[in-house]
Amino acid sequence: MTQGVLLFASNNAQVDYVKQAVYCASRIKKYLNLPVSIVTENSSYLASAYPENTFDKIIPVPKTSTDQQRRYFDGVYATKTLEWKNHSRSDCFDLTPYDETIVMDTDYIISNDKLLSAFDYNENFLIYKKYTDLAPNRNTSSLKVVSDRSIDMWWATVFYFKKNDETKFFFDLVKHIKDNWGFYRLTYQIANRNFRNDFAFSIAIHILNGYQNTDWPKSLPGNMYLTTDLDQLISIDNDTMTFLVDENETGKYLAVKTKGANVHVMNKFSLGRFIDEEMHNG
Amino acid sequence: MDKGFCILAQNNSSTDYVRQAYALALSIHKFNNDQKVTIITNDIVPEKYKSVFDQIVPIPWTDQAEGKDWKIENRWKVYHASPYEYTIVMDADMIVTHNIEHWWDELSKRQLFFTSNVRTYRNKIVTSRKYRKVFDSNDLPNLYSAIYYFKKGNTAQEFFTLVELIMTNWELFYGKFAGIDYQNWCSVDVSCAIASKILDNRQDITDPNSFITFTHMKPGAQDWINVPELWTKVIGRYLRSDGTLFLGNFLQQNVLHYVEDQFLDDNFLNRLETI
Repeated sequence: MTQGVLLFASNNAQVDYVKQAVYCASRIKKYLNLPVSIVTENSSYLASAYPENTFDKIIPVPKTSTDQQRRYFDGVYATKTLEWKNHSRSDCFDLTPYDETIVMDTDYIISNDKLLSAFDYNENFLIYKKYTDLAPNRNTSSLKVVSDRSIDMWWATVFYFKKNDETKFFFDLVKHIKDNWGFYRLTYQIANRNFRNDFAFSIAIHILNGYQNTDWPKSLPGNMYLTTDLDQLISIDNDTMTFLVDENETGKYLAVKTKGANVHVMNKFSLGRFIDEEMHNG
Repeated sequence: MDKGFCILAQNNSSTDYVRQAYALALSIHKFNNDQKVTIITNDIVPEKYKSVFDQIVPIPWTDQAEGKDWKIENRWKVYHASPYEYTIVMDADMIVTHNIEHWWDELSKRQLFFTSNVRTYRNKIVTSRKYRKVFDSNDLPNLYSAIYYFKKGNTAQEFFTLVELIMTNWELFYGKFAGIDYQNWCSVDVSCAIASKILDNRQDITDPNSFITFTHMKPGAQDWINVPELWTKVIGRYLRSDGTLFLGNFLQQNVLHYVEDQFLDDNFLNRLETI
């Protein structure tokens, strides 16, 4: 059985997801020692800008354009509205070169080896529902559900799957939800028109559970910590990360340090600046 | 075993509780075999409704709710009016959504049982204490009387005799046993909780982990950030042809205490009749 990590990275006008993927892959190599493949629209850019990248396989996909846009915050005081390409995640079943795959966002920064035990679970699919916000007093209850009156939120940020009929069915359902997003977002009372993988995964899980909460799927091992795009990444030193986290959109920041924790760093600009610095320093 | 369900229904100026009791009885029969359902009422039961009831029993003695709009003053009488040795009592504004025949086996181990941990429509335990302040403030047992059970005998008789005393003198008892966050109206839940506290029997008459529970549709109990005035305005209800009921996107797995009269509109009742 082959095992590896699959990243999806397609740039928009201002966010270099490929650069994030190169950095993310280096962390995966360091802490998980797994082969990492990348699915990208920007394979030429990857080859030219990062010729010494360590990707196991580069899987090019055709360039797409989308009218989907979202606001990207860079801390509390700065925001940009940019193209948001996130439609290929559900193709991971067909695209992965591995029998067992961990799919990960490129802004998920690995600092321990806990995800390795996902391969030891006798499960076809593992994903996080619980998360820990690094801002201790911030109210993130809206992140627990797809919408106030709807279903629990599962995070497509990172998940594990084994290739088989069961997971093929799951990802086919996610594709169906994506293709009929207008219907599903209304059915699940989602106000935002944008397609979001977390929501599509959550809906698919809910449907496959017979429209109930059950104990499927199991959680990935370890914890998923998160910072929102209102926060700032200050530094990463091996397995230690330092952030300034916002307290309830007040602009008052609190310094927080993590050690040995995997963190979803949602402020892409902040992460990008740190990676630039890191790469510049060699 | 002589067992059955009892529903007390007294119509008021705005709500046809007999109609609600009919819908509840229909739903009990839909999902459960050979169940007896008695309606306790002084109101006229339309001919169409009669077939779902095993017996139609008048409210015993005088109507203590005469002239009142929220007619709860007679609720303590169900014990005395039930024709069964073993009785499950349900509020009229409920719908059974699945087979609950196994409840009888579980309840037969008890003399008296009240539900305590109720659920949201997402089948999560209700954690909101919005409607339960008087219980918390006065260390009252967290009892819900929308579903309860009794076996006729000394234990239940003693309990409901005390409930009668509390409900007819509720201001006195609430002042003495529920003085903090004082509730200035009489309710069956608080009255039963006070009776349980006086008799010190909470361990015997409820179990927070019991599967005997219901979904409580008070809007403030649903873990919503934005709480609407009426839940029926913000989530859909769908009764499938096989009888399965959805609220929002959730298959209902528990008895539903729908609370709002709007739930049982003519379309819904017609559909319930035809499945």
